[in-house]
Amino acid sequence: MTNASEVLSSIQSAFPGAVLDSRVESDRRLWATIDSKKILDVCKHLTNKLNFDHYSGSAGVDWIARNEMEVVEIMASHGAHKVVAMLKVKTPRENPSVKSLTGLYWNANWYEREIWEMFGINFEGHPELYPLLLSDQLIGSWPWRKDFKGYPDLTTGERAVAITTPEGYTEYRFPPTPAEVEAGTVVAERPKYPTFREREEREIKSDSEMIMHLGPQHAMVPGPFLLDVLVEGERVKKGFLDVGYIHKGIEKIMENRTWLQGIVYTDRMCYVASLSNNECYCGAVEKILGLEVPERAQYIRVILEELSRIQSHLIGTGEFLTLVAGVGYAPWQYMIIDRERIISLIESVTGARLTHTFVRFGGVRNDLPDDFAEKCKTTLPYIKSRVNEFIELFAQDAIYQKRMENVGVLSAEDAKRVGIAGPALRASGVAYDMRVEDPILVYPDLDFKVIVGTKGDCADRVDCRLREILESIHIIEQCLDRIPAGPIKPEAKIPKKVPAGEAYYRVEDPRGEMGMYVISDGGDKPYRVKVRGPFYATLQTLPPLLEGVYIADVVAIAGSMDGCPSEADR
Amino acid sequence: MLKRKMIKNFGWPLKTAMREIEVTRLYPEVMMELPENERGIHELDATTCIGCASCARVCPNSCIEMVHFKYGNPLKNKKMQFPQVDYGRCMFCGLCVDECPVECLKMGKKVTMAGWERKDIIKGPDFLATKRFSAKEVADLEAEAKRIAAEKAAAKKAAAKEKPAKEGNAAGSAKKKVDAKPAEGGAA
Ligand code: SF4
Ligand code: SF4
Repeated sequence: MTNASEVLSSIQSAFPGAVLDSRVESDRRLWATIDSKKILDVCKHLTNKLNFDHYSGSAGVDWIARNEMEVVEIMASHGAHKVVAMLKVKTPRENPSVKSLTGLYWNANWYEREIWEMFGINFEGHPELYPLLLSDQLIGSWPWRKDFKGYPDLTTGERAVAITTPEGYTEYRFPPTPAEVEAGTVVAERPKYPTFREREEREIKSDSEMIMHLGPQHAMVPGPFLLDVLVEGERVKKGFLDVGYIHKGIEKIMENRTWLQGIVYTDRMCYVASLSNNECYCGAVEKILGLEVPERAQYIRVILEELSRIQSHLIGTGEFLTLVAGVGYAPWQYMIIDRERIISLIESVTGARLTHTFVRFGGVRNDLPDDFAEKCKTTLPYIKSRVNEFIELFAQDAIYQKRMENVGVLSAEDAKRVGIAGPALRASGVAYDMRVEDPILVYPDLDFKVIVGTKGDCADRVDCRLREILESIHIIEQCLDRIPAGPIKPEAKIPKKVPAGEAYYRVEDPRGEMGMYVISDGGDKPYRVKVRGPFYATLQTLPPLLEGVYIADVVAIAGSMDGCPSEADR
Repeated sequence: MLKRKMIKNFGWPLKTAMREIEVTRLYPEVMMELPENERGIHELDATTCIGCASCARVCPNSCIEMVHFKYGNPLKNKKMQFPQVDYGRCMFCGLCVDECPVECLKMGKKVTMAGWERKDIIKGPDFLATKRFSAKEVADLEAEAKRIAAEKAAAKKAAAKEKPAKEGNAAGSAKKKVDAKPAEGGAA
């Protein structure tokens, strides 16, 4: 099995002088600074020779003190080995520019677009360097640079000036005040690019084609995103996605909050997966601090994260059914009722229903209440029987099967190529689960199967999710049997300042691979937090998946992905 | 065959509807049972709060402000400053509770707080305090605090008078502090 030092020596021997700096953190983590001229070759080498077939994302970092910027490429493998390579490429702060990886990895597109709009780092060879999350007014201010002065407050209605457009519509503009121009908070020169509207209208080739809007508001999807489809007759020819409607800038907010306060913000990225987000952030910080988590706390974390997975899958499946079937046939209510029991279980430990702020550096906030195991003993078998019922229900319903089978098929190769994760990837038959790939806490001691599907269609994705609930119940039962007595927090006080360092930590979110890249400069606040969310990757794969399907299948495919735009936008 | 299975599926909602499935509809007639750990409205033990403002500093939303409140312990909380929480901004994260050094701030099971105006949901210590002193107890404690202060002042004066014997006096005033302790504990 390949380990990190072997990967490093392989790069070094293939490209002498390309590795400027390197650190082998463990068998699974390699940090290397690569010569910016050689990055494409190194990535090619990793993919072709060393099985790094999973481009997991990239992050931008502004090192203002060193007067340079960094792009960190996160590379992993779909099961061939367990090394995650963090390859850094440096570029000066004036006119920052690095080579684009879009030619090698299809899914590098969005990650690089995001870095461009946030940091202003140009990607040479990127086919469509357009804004992704930010609104057009903000482009050019590069808000995630460390010297960003803040944007003028445009929220007050009094500043709005009504303008009549040539088409006769009234639009409102917010001109900056002279003071703001002087302070430099206004973008002096905005880059030129075609707007989203222009880009999609460019694609209309004949009179028989038109663009149909789905969203940004949809009654059932928990967060807003705009999905425009170019249709000809009943068929979709192309899909366009516009995201960023609930971009909250959480990564930037966390740079301005203390380490402890950051936990609160991870909750708000995705409220149905707040426990795994907590875990991801705290795990990364624990890695930098070198903290050991007491065993009891580890078990409590696993129990709660699995409970959270169950409730997330229940709500995800319920939402999906409402999307495909309206109200006539919708076990949504049943799933919500069942989910309520899981929520009460979690609430009895954490004290909150959705935003738990429960995991702490080196431990957890509360111990399990005395009657927790007992409550689990009544609730879990009930959920198990219900889920089995749901599985049976779907398996024997002819309408459901006609509607779902062989719709939105994602083959294993394609699924790997587009970088999708979680149940959507496993439904295609790729057993890729962070609980096995990058085991944390007590997961290595627990016995569980990674659920995989066979075909990768909508029915498979839903089925995978339901069967994962059964697997989670199995995990929780084991944990309850084994959980030892003992402390739930480290004895020493957690320091307010975290020593300088960096860490990348991955957990299996209900939606897939959630990774956080945390950098500390030794202060009481994080220097940079990058969230690599699972739904970001899933959302990116939607447009190609929709090409050629019927309009009626669009919601089925989008719904079967179990989305949370809030986490994609952050 | 398939049809029969589908008919069976249609029977499923009927079967489920027969059961007791009320979940959220009970509110507000019946409050659902909340667990012991519930993070609801804060509960302040005004008799032990030391007014250190740790809770105000850790709050991510800066919703805690320190305000004056009469019925606390003047021995421990010299300036009589106690937390006031703006529930318009509070997100019930519980960080303030974890941070409190004397564990006088808790979160309870009370969750209703609606008001007609924004200022109605800014709740001061008067609303939050579950434990407080009566006016008489406060008066006694204040008298005690005054006595201690007077004693200290006297000791200082004495120290100023006998400049050469500095060390002996310092020890003396330290001793007085120790004397004051039991009185304080008794009152609390
Ligand atoms: S619960 Fe959280 S938001 Fe509310 S006052 Fe305490 S620290 Fe602030
Ligand atoms: S409630 Fe606790 S943390 Fe807040 S001022 Fe009082 S003693 Fe300090």
